Amino acid sequence: MQELLDFARGPLFRLTIALMVLGLLRVLILDIWGAITAYRRAGDRQLAWGDALRKTIAWLFPVKRVFTKRPIYSLCSILFHIGLILVPVFFLGHVQLWKSSIGLSWWTLPEFWADLLTVTTVVFGLTLILGRVGSAQARYLSRKQDYLWIPLLILPFITGYICTNMVLSPNWYVILMLIHVVSAEVIFVFLPFTKIAHCVLMPLSQFILALAWKFPARVDDKICTTLNKKGAPV
Amino acid sequence: MGTTRITAAEQEKALASIKKPDIIKKQKLNVRYHVEDYDISDRPRRFLEAFAAILKHTNYRFALEHFIRVSAKCSRCTVQCPVYLATHDKHDIPCYRSELLLSVYRRHFTVGGALRGRLLDNGELTDEKIEEMAESFWNCTACRRCTLECPVGIDHALITHLGRFILSEIGIAPRALVVSTREQLEGKTGNTSAIPVPALIDTLDFLEEDMKAELGVDITFPKDVAGSEFLFVPAVSDFLMEAETLMGIAAVFKATGGSWTISTDYFDAINYGLFYSDRMLERIIRKLYAESERMKTKAILIGECGHASRSAKYYVPVHCGGTKARPVYNIMEYTHRMLEEGKLKLKPDAITDTVTYHDPCNIARQGWIIDQPRELIRAFCPNFVEMTPNKKENICCGGGGGTVSIDEIRPYRTTIGGRAKADQIRATGAKYLIAPCANCKKQLRELVEDQEIDCEVVGLHDLIYKAIIFDTKEQKS
Repeated sequence: MQELLDFARGPLFRLTIALMVLGLLRVLILDIWGAITAYRRAGDRQLAWGDALRKTIAWLFPVKRVFTKRPIYSLCSILFHIGLILVPVFFLGHVQLWKSSIGLSWWTLPEFWADLLTVTTVVFGLTLILGRVGSAQARYLSRKQDYLWIPLLILPFITGYICTNMVLSPNWYVILMLIHVVSAEVIFVFLPFTKIAHCVLMPLSQFILALAWKFPARVDDKICTTLNKKGAPV
Repeated sequence: MGTTRITAAEQEKALASIKKPDIIKKQKLNVRYHVEDYDISDRPRRFLEAFAAILKHTNYRFALEHFIRVSAKCSRCTVQCPVYLATHDKHDIPCYRSELLLSVYRRHFTVGGALRGRLLDNGELTDEKIEEMAESFWNCTACRRCTLECPVGIDHALITHLGRFILSEIGIAPRALVVSTREQLEGKTGNTSAIPVPALIDTLDFLEEDMKAELGVDITFPKDVAGSEFLFVPAVSDFLMEAETLMGIAAVFKATGGSWTISTDYFDAINYGLFYSDRMLERIIRKLYAESERMKTKAILIGECGHASRSAKYYVPVHCGGTKARPVYNIMEYTHRMLEEGKLKLKPDAITDTVTYHDPCNIARQGWIIDQPRELIRAFCPNFVEMTPNKKENICCGGGGGTVSIDEIRPYRTTIGGRAKADQIRATGAKYLIAPCANCKKQLRELVEDQEIDCEVVGLHDLIYKAIIFDTKEQKS
């Protein structure tokens, strides 16, 4: 069992991280390349860069607008995201793992904050699931992945919290730690191919939607040719 | 502000179709708007061909790719959509409407989607899905409020815009819009209201006489004056329905000594292409621009009309030379500048009744024209009240996205589409509702009539006409 854990924390961790980074780079590059191509083809290249940047920052740090509508849902979502982003990267144990895998280390979260943020992520993650199940509109829109992602995301938080804060028999520790590591690795692998890719793509959204209304010049003729409609009446 | 939900009886009234069952069967299309007869064979294949051609030649693909990657299905857009707020119908959730088209894109135009679809043998585009899109995309008023609220930044209005474009390529588009556009681009009169030139000239002469009688000032509508600063082009329906708006604009030019002209060759700024077809949008823009070149004007000035202003402002640069193209302004920008420069003088208490202002989505949502009309109103009216929400977050009149021109769906527009707006207007208790947009004005007049709200819908220049001061003898003569 211990060997399995060592494998999961060692080679498997490095592999899944590599897959995640490559996967995210792929969608990021595809997105940016698409935007550059669209910008080149656009008949009018004046973009409201400042406005898009302001909106991007406003959505990355949503402190104002979200509380005017659905404030409880917004608060849950924000608190859920804070721990979700900070703990995996800045928790002491993780930083040590990062150091042993990729040779880099950085600032760590004080233990108290790491624990608190873990709890908030779990609690508000559960609230978001309840919110989705409880809301008729959200239920109507939801696909399978929308229900599955949050349980999967909070699983490593729950197991990680238990392993760090509770006295466990060595066997249980290894089992829970294995679940912790493997569930995180499942997340790494699937993340770039699902909606969770918004973790790197969201900052592009406002620029993309400003650019999307900038159509290429003179496409009427080309579309008519392709569709065999040249000379057809309106 | 809470929007009241419609009752079951209202819903029945709003959704009732006046179309005959045999037409619905013949056209295989159970939608409330009229459609010209079209080829109903093999619709899914032709839809996909049109979709492919559009993706090939336009910029939509990169946006769709981004949207399918980030869409989180959070349902937050429901808090902004005036249609959803009125009906609470799940089919009216903006994100659901977008998913109709995004799922077609994913299934037929992405490798992963196509593989999954083939393996599981599902998700293929069907006739039923086309019918659902044909209904859903025209229930939306294209007001773009949902886009303000989407945390991951999906532009549902862009997706609806594209969906309508693809549908129009297989012949599914509201007849009212198609017929008007045909007249504008290929008809004898060259405008959407089919006004012949002699009738236009008669109207303008008549308005000039009217202004002489009312104000005692010789005010003219300059016709075909090449080399003027502005080519003035209103929504052509203004010549039939908004005489006071036009008189107000002429009076402003008289008082400020501006150089402007109306062309009797082409005098219609309406661009229904913005609502159903990018190809038509482009043709109309090019026609408008060609006229400004022919008349050798320095700029194009659009009258009180939201969609005409947006389409010209944003698509003249796209199709007519980018930054080098002639600039496009909305008349309120001109009038406001004249007020700021002191060339326009208004009686500060010309209108003492309560006045409120409706922001047309097409000029306010992107933050283009927001403060100018408010400053103008405050210059002649001490009792101005705001609606809430307003400015960039305004609520649509309920007739946006071309739906106002579809007369057969009036019950839908004034019961569902305009529900939130009606609640908002009632709350202000205003006597005058200023709406500087031909479409909004038509819709709001029908709305206050159907919803029995005691309020007069006017254009901004209608009231400026009552407030304007001609202070020199020279102008009087």
